[in-house]
Amino acid sequence: MTGTAAHIVRTLLLSLITLVGVSVLIFLMLRVLPGDPARVLAGLNASEEQVARLRDQLGLDDSLLSQYGSFLTGVLQGDLGQSARTSRPVAAEIAVRLPATLILAVVATVIGSIVGVTAGVVAAVRRNSVVDHAISSVAMMGVSMPVYWLGLLLILLFAVTLGWLPAAGSGEPLSIVLPAVTLAAFSTALISRMTRASMLEVLGQDYIRTAQAKGAAPTTVIVKHGLRNAFIPVLTVISLQFGALLGGAVLTETVFGWPGIGRLLVDSIGARDFAVVQGIVLVYAAAFILLNVVVDVLYVVVDPRIRY
Amino acid sequence: MTTIRARRRPSRARSLAAASALALLLGACTVSDPEAPATGGGGEGGGGTFSIAVGIDPDTFDPAGQTTTTVQNIVDYVVETLVVFDENDELVGNLAETFEISEDGRIVTLGLQDGVVFHDGTPFDAEAVKFNLERIIDPALTVPLGSPFEVIESVTPVDDTTVEIALSRPSPGFLSALSVTTAGMISPASVTAEGNTNLEYQRPVGTGPYTFGEYTAGESVTVQKFPDYWGEEPFYDTVVFRIVPEAATRESLLLSGQVDMMILPPVSDIEALQANEDVEVLLAESDRTIFIALDTNDPLLSDPQVRQALNHAVDKQAIVDNVLFGAAEVMDAPMAPSLFGYCQTGTYDYDPERARQLLAEAGAEGASLELLTPSGRYVQDQQAAEAIAGYLREVGLDVSVSTSDFPSFLARVNAAPSENTVDMHLLGWAPPFLDADFQMQMFRQATHPPAGLATSFYTNPQVEELLAQADVETDEARREQLYCDASQVIWDDAPWIFLWTQSFPIVWSADVTGISATPTEKFSAVYARPAS
Repeated sequence: MTGTAAHIVRTLLLSLITLVGVSVLIFLMLRVLPGDPARVLAGLNASEEQVARLRDQLGLDDSLLSQYGSFLTGVLQGDLGQSARTSRPVAAEIAVRLPATLILAVVATVIGSIVGVTAGVVAAVRRNSVVDHAISSVAMMGVSMPVYWLGLLLILLFAVTLGWLPAAGSGEPLSIVLPAVTLAAFSTALISRMTRASMLEVLGQDYIRTAQAKGAAPTTVIVKHGLRNAFIPVLTVISLQFGALLGGAVLTETVFGWPGIGRLLVDSIGARDFAVVQGIVLVYAAAFILLNVVVDVLYVVVDPRIRY
Repeated sequence: MTTIRARRRPSRARSLAAASALALLLGACTVSDPEAPATGGGGEGGGGTFSIAVGIDPDTFDPAGQTTTTVQNIVDYVVETLVVFDENDELVGNLAETFEISEDGRIVTLGLQDGVVFHDGTPFDAEAVKFNLERIIDPALTVPLGSPFEVIESVTPVDDTTVEIALSRPSPGFLSALSVTTAGMISPASVTAEGNTNLEYQRPVGTGPYTFGEYTAGESVTVQKFPDYWGEEPFYDTVVFRIVPEAATRESLLLSGQVDMMILPPVSDIEALQANEDVEVLLAESDRTIFIALDTNDPLLSDPQVRQALNHAVDKQAIVDNVLFGAAEVMDAPMAPSLFGYCQTGTYDYDPERARQLLAEAGAEGASLELLTPSGRYVQDQQAAEAIAGYLREVGLDVSVSTSDFPSFLARVNAAPSENTVDMHLLGWAPPFLDADFQMQMFRQATHPPAGLATSFYTNPQVEELLAQADVETDEARREQLYCDASQVIWDDAPWIFLWTQSFPIVWSADVTGISATPTEKFSAVYARPAS
């Protein structure tokens, strides 16, 4: 494992450079957006003097370099600054919202992995059967269905018509069911298709025939010899999906009134709340990098042949 | 082509996974009865919880920092103003029982309610009024709706229940401005209390019927009944504001009985909701006018005849009926009827023939114009803009529609004339208190961009003169007439395509009653109670 440890250290060091790059990019992108944050924050009815005063308070009149300098200095001291919109510390805003999005993404990924891998294996084993075609069609629907539409349909069925589940919010334990299922639809479909393709490739290998010939139980053949060898590309898709879910939860959070960070990001972009947007993007970037390190380690666990 | 396979026993692990996934997908367990509308516990107090679904996540609970009416509406449960507008849109006393303005319009004298206490036990008195009014004119604090208060010169407590406010000039709209949540009275002690500073005021402490309970970011705001409230006791012990940005989801919450009331349903569902016996629908009148501002600096649009032609070219009633599903009233003056100073000034009938004729006379046939619109900020804004462009194309104009997010939109329309490239744009404007003064900012040189949002760059010496007189006219009847005269000139000059006054739709469960609205896009549900 020492090779792996060294690899991880190297990755983390490279990540720092990536993070600095991300911070510069997001900083500049926000500032080329049209729209004066002070005007947006002060509201349509504010006088010009008030807007000017706010610009000054937010440091928007300073040079870009000095603005970036104070942003970076803050980050290095663990201070992400203050939200211009709510005057609360950005770190606190993020800390309040991040757990909700994490829980949603984790539950959706678990659903997507279990259902997707199961469906993919079944489809591969019974390829070209009715079951295979049915799974493929449902997967096609899952990939094509807009979150908005699916979410509202689920609300109509399970909250309004049947009265089984909460329609919105995160106040009850069952609140997570509908948003998680909605968010999982796309990844489930993607994971199942990836699993099917990967399994088909593996099931055609000689060692599968050998395992069958020596009389191993069919389940053993499929899971131990088949799935374990087919799992690397599936794991890659699952981890990429998890990252995408973290970022892609915005629509789901909006439809279900789920108090996550995606909504905060959209609200903050809409209010040109620079500090909050910068903070969220940095946290996201760090999360992605961490995720990649975790996946690197998982590869070694899944496939002992992999060495760094 | 099928292959023949050996039959398999399903493995235990696989069936477990499938079963648990199925359970999740089917939501195999049921909610322990979604919160039914609160019912009274009998007796005096009532009790229970009343829940309201709103669309905006509060940015600040500091009355002075307010921008949106939705958040003001929540703060209003906790913090009260000195004066209020009653159901007849008349200004009446609240925390100030009496109010009067001196002959020269420079001294406002308030007689305060006696025996009122803040939620923290601090008595509400003249000193508290002084503290609050001085706070909202403090340059250190950002007060988005603070402009009407800039005329305050000094605040002097005469005795415990009498306050004199000296103004730097007569300001007839000043008293009405005191009804805005911005001028809500907070406890002076609370700016240094737990969780608050003067600049970061997170937990409001007022004199209102409810005390501030809890804010869960992105989720809800809870307020609790205040036992020592000076006014009439409300029915419900707890009120919960659920934050749900998606209109269709808010509607689902109401229809499934998970909230008792909601604001702003999807307009396309209003008809179905009106037909539904389980809910009540109120299309409340609001003071928000929606219009297409025309750039009067533009060579083509500087001609009043062209602007009148555009007004005749658009069938506004048809758009209200078909695009806004009836949730608006076509304008017949440059302001909403609920404002003081409103008088009906005319109509621009739908008359495409006349529009073509006026355009021909002005030599403007076939001109190219860009129409900029926000998307999703006002009821059916982008859809309405597309329909308007269609009508303008029918009279031979070449119109393109573009949209952008609101800050970018604002940056373009708020630009100085030299760099302003917008021919026409759709905009909405809602005075925070019911006085023509705030609406007339849209037609004055002093508020041309970038100083303000008079985005038509409209200037007319006659209007400037009338409004300058109205600014200092203390006789209400004369002031009303001045606004009426100015309105008439503006209407004929047509700096806007005058569209409609937006409705403010509220829907609630038929099991509750006692809900209404005010024209400033606020609901009044403090005294909601079970219908039976």
